[in-house]
Amino acid sequence: MISETLIVEKGVSAGDPWVTVDAPKVHEALAALKTEGYTLLVFLSCVDHLVDASRSWPARYEVVYQLRNMETREQLRLRTFIEGDPPHIDSVHDVFPPANWDERETYDMFGIVFDGHPELTRILMPDDWVGYPLRRDYPVGGEPVEFSEEHEMWQTAPDKA
Amino acid sequence: MTDTISRGVTVDRTGEAGAFGGELLTINFGPHHPSTHGVLRLIVDLDGEQVRRLKPVIGYLHTGIEKQMEALRWQQGVTVTDRHDYLSPPINNLAYALAVEKLMGVEVPPRANALRVIMSELTRLSSHLVWMGTSGLELGAMSMLMYCFRERDTILDMNEEISGFRMHTSYIRPGGVMADSTPRFLEMLDQFCRDMPGHVDEYEALLTNNPIWRSRTIGIGILSAEDAKVLGATGPMLRGSGVAWDLRRSMPYSGYENYDFEIATSDMCDCYGRYLVRIKEMRESIKILRQALDRLPDGPVNVDDRKMLPPPREELETSMEAVIHHFKLFTEGYSVPPGDVYVAVESGRGENGCYIASDGTHKPRRVKFRSASFVNLQALERMALNHFLADMVAIIGTADTVLGDCDR
Amino acid sequence: MGIEALAESLGKNILTTSLGKLVGWGRGNSVWPAQFGLACCAIEMIATATAGVDIARFGSEAFRASPRQSDLMIVSGRVSQKMAPILRTIYDQMPEPKWVISMGACASTGGVFNNYALLQGVDKIVPVDVYIPGCPPRPEDLLNALMILQERIKAQGILPRQ
Ligand code: SF4
Repeated sequence: MISETLIVEKGVSAGDPWVTVDAPKVHEALAALKTEGYTLLVFLSCVDHLVDASRSWPARYEVVYQLRNMETREQLRLRTFIEGDPPHIDSVHDVFPPANWDERETYDMFGIVFDGHPELTRILMPDDWVGYPLRRDYPVGGEPVEFSEEHEMWQTAPDKA
Repeated sequence: MTDTISRGVTVDRTGEAGAFGGELLTINFGPHHPSTHGVLRLIVDLDGEQVRRLKPVIGYLHTGIEKQMEALRWQQGVTVTDRHDYLSPPINNLAYALAVEKLMGVEVPPRANALRVIMSELTRLSSHLVWMGTSGLELGAMSMLMYCFRERDTILDMNEEISGFRMHTSYIRPGGVMADSTPRFLEMLDQFCRDMPGHVDEYEALLTNNPIWRSRTIGIGILSAEDAKVLGATGPMLRGSGVAWDLRRSMPYSGYENYDFEIATSDMCDCYGRYLVRIKEMRESIKILRQALDRLPDGPVNVDDRKMLPPPREELETSMEAVIHHFKLFTEGYSVPPGDVYVAVESGRGENGCYIASDGTHKPRRVKFRSASFVNLQALERMALNHFLADMVAIIGTADTVLGDCDR
Repeated sequence: MGIEALAESLGKNILTTSLGKLVGWGRGNSVWPAQFGLACCAIEMIATATAGVDIARFGSEAFRASPRQSDLMIVSGRVSQKMAPILRTIYDQMPEPKWVISMGACASTGGVFNNYALLQGVDKIVPVDVYIPGCPPRPEDLLNALMILQERIKAQGILPRQ
C-alpha cells in the first residue's frame, strides 16, 4: 500500500476498494502504486458531481483511476477531486502508456486539462466542437420527441436531473 | 512545410528522406475504406510502401452512449448497452447488469447465471465468426465470409428464439434475464453444439494450412508479451502474445469458475497467433455451451424483488400491491444506492468493463464503458511499424477492433 | 457470325420498347451499392450479401469500394456529427444517377440515440429514396427496400430525378 501520508481517505464501495489522494499528488501516488504491483491501468475517467446530493463532495470533478495487479488480481480505485475552469491535473501517460488516449477522451468529454500530455486534442468529437458533452450542464441534445414528457428535462440537465 | 489534414491533426512533412531514396509520403487511410473494419481513419507516413509512422484518428462513430445512459432510467439503459459493441450485445448487457446488481447487492438465481453464460458464449462465437469472415474477405479468402455467416445466422436464429430479436437482444438485464429459455431454444442449442465442432474443422481446413493465409499473417504485426502488457492490451491480442489472462478464469463472474475450459494462448505473437487463439476459443466456447446445457439448473430466472422487476402478469389481476409496483416501476423506475462500482467481463475483443457511479436517484450519474477496442487500438502503431501498407489490413483485421465499441 | 445467320438466329423474336423502359430495366437490375458500413446495421448488410440471403439474385452483389463506381449508397448505421461531412463527400463523389437507402432507425431518425453526437436522420444531408425501419433491419428488409427501389428506378427511365 502506498504510504499513508498520500492517502486522504479510503473505503470500499460495493466491494471495490478505493483510496483518495490530493490532486497534485496523483502522479506520485500512481507511480508508487505501479512499483507495488498495480501494473495495469484499466481505465481512467471522470465523474461530474454537479448538483449531486448523495453526499458532500469536495469538488465538482472526480477523476477516477482503476488499477489492477495482474499477479494477485487485486483491484484498486484511486480517486481525486479537482475544481476550476478548466480543471488541471497531471498527466500520467509516462507511468501508464494506455492513459494517453483515456486522458484525451476525458479532456474531450469533460474539459479536464492534463498537464504534460504530449498531444491533448479532442479524440472523439470533431476538432472544432464547442463544449464538453459529458459535463452535467451540457444538454443531452437531439430533437424534441412528441409525447415524451422527459425530453425537456434532458435539455436542462444541471439542476433538475 | 506543414500540411494540415484537418484541424487538430497536423502532419509534418519535413521533406524527410526515406530509406529508398524517395521522400516520406503521408496518406490517409479511411475513414471510408473497405478494410478498416468500420470507420477507422489512419494517417500513415509511407516510405516507399513501408509504414514509418502511423496515427489512428477515431471518433467517427461516436454515439454519445454514455451521455444517453445518464438520461435514461436504470432499466432503460440496457437497450443502449447493446449497441456500443455491436458484435457482442449480450456481453455488454452482462457487464452493465452485473455492475447494477453489484451496487444493489443482489444475486441472480443459478438458472439465470447459466443462461447468461450460454448467451455470452454464443455471442463470443458469433463475434469471432464475423471477425473471421470479414478478415478472410479482406485478405482474399472470400468463401470464409459465406461459411462464417452461415453459422452466425444459426446463432442469430437462436437469439431470436430466446429473446425475439436477432442482434440487439437486451436479453440480460439487471436482476436476471428477460425470459426463460424455450424448449425449442434448448433443442437448437443442442443441435448447434453437435454441428459446430465440424464447422470449426471446416474453417481450419480452409485457413490454417492455407499458404496464402499463412504468408499474409505469419510474422506480421508482432506484439511481444511485454509490449502487450505495457500497452494494456486484453483479449485475443494479449493471449495471442502468450499471456494466459482471461477474465472468465482470472476473475470469474456469473459462475464461470464452475466450467471446465482452457485459456487459449499462442506464443507466436503475430497475426497468425491471434487467429489460432480465436479458433481455439471457439472450440472452448462450444465446450462451455455443452456443459452449461447439460447442467442447466431449474428454477426462476429473475430475482424475486418487486422493486426491481415487474410482477408476473397473473398477479396484476388479483393484487393491488402488484399494480402499484408495476406502475411505479414503469413510470419512475427503481433507484440504486449511491456509490460507484466497476465490473469487467471478457468479450470477444477483451476486457469489456462497466463503471457506474450512482447518486442514489433513478438515473445513473455516470456510466463509463471500458472498451477493449479503444485500448487495443493504441497498440496498432507498435504492431504496424515497418510493415508494408498491404499488411496493415491483416494487422487491423486481427486486432479485431469494433469502432462502435471504440468510440461509444 | 454473319449478319444473315444472326437474323436467322433471332428469328421472329423482335422486341419493341421505349428507350426509357429499356434503360430503366437495365439500371434497375444492376444497382451497385457503395461499400459503406457504419455500425451495427452494416453487419446485417454484409449478411445480406452472403449465401443465405444472397443479394446477387437482385443484381446488387457488386459492393464497390469506390463511390465513383456505385449507384446506390446504403447508409447502414448511425451517422455521427464527425462522419456527416464525409458521408456527404462520398455522396457527392458518386456519379448520377444515384440513390440512397437509409437503413435502420439510426440512419432514418437517430433511433434510440436522441443526443448531441448523432445526426438525427441522414435525410438532413442527403436525399433518401427508401427508409428501412428496424434496429437493425433484417436482411430480408434490405432486400425488400432494394426491390422497392428497383421499381422506382424502372419507372424513372431516362428522366432525371425530380
Ligand atoms: S439502427 Fe440499431 S442496429 Fe442500426 S446502427 Fe442504429 S443502433 Fe445499430
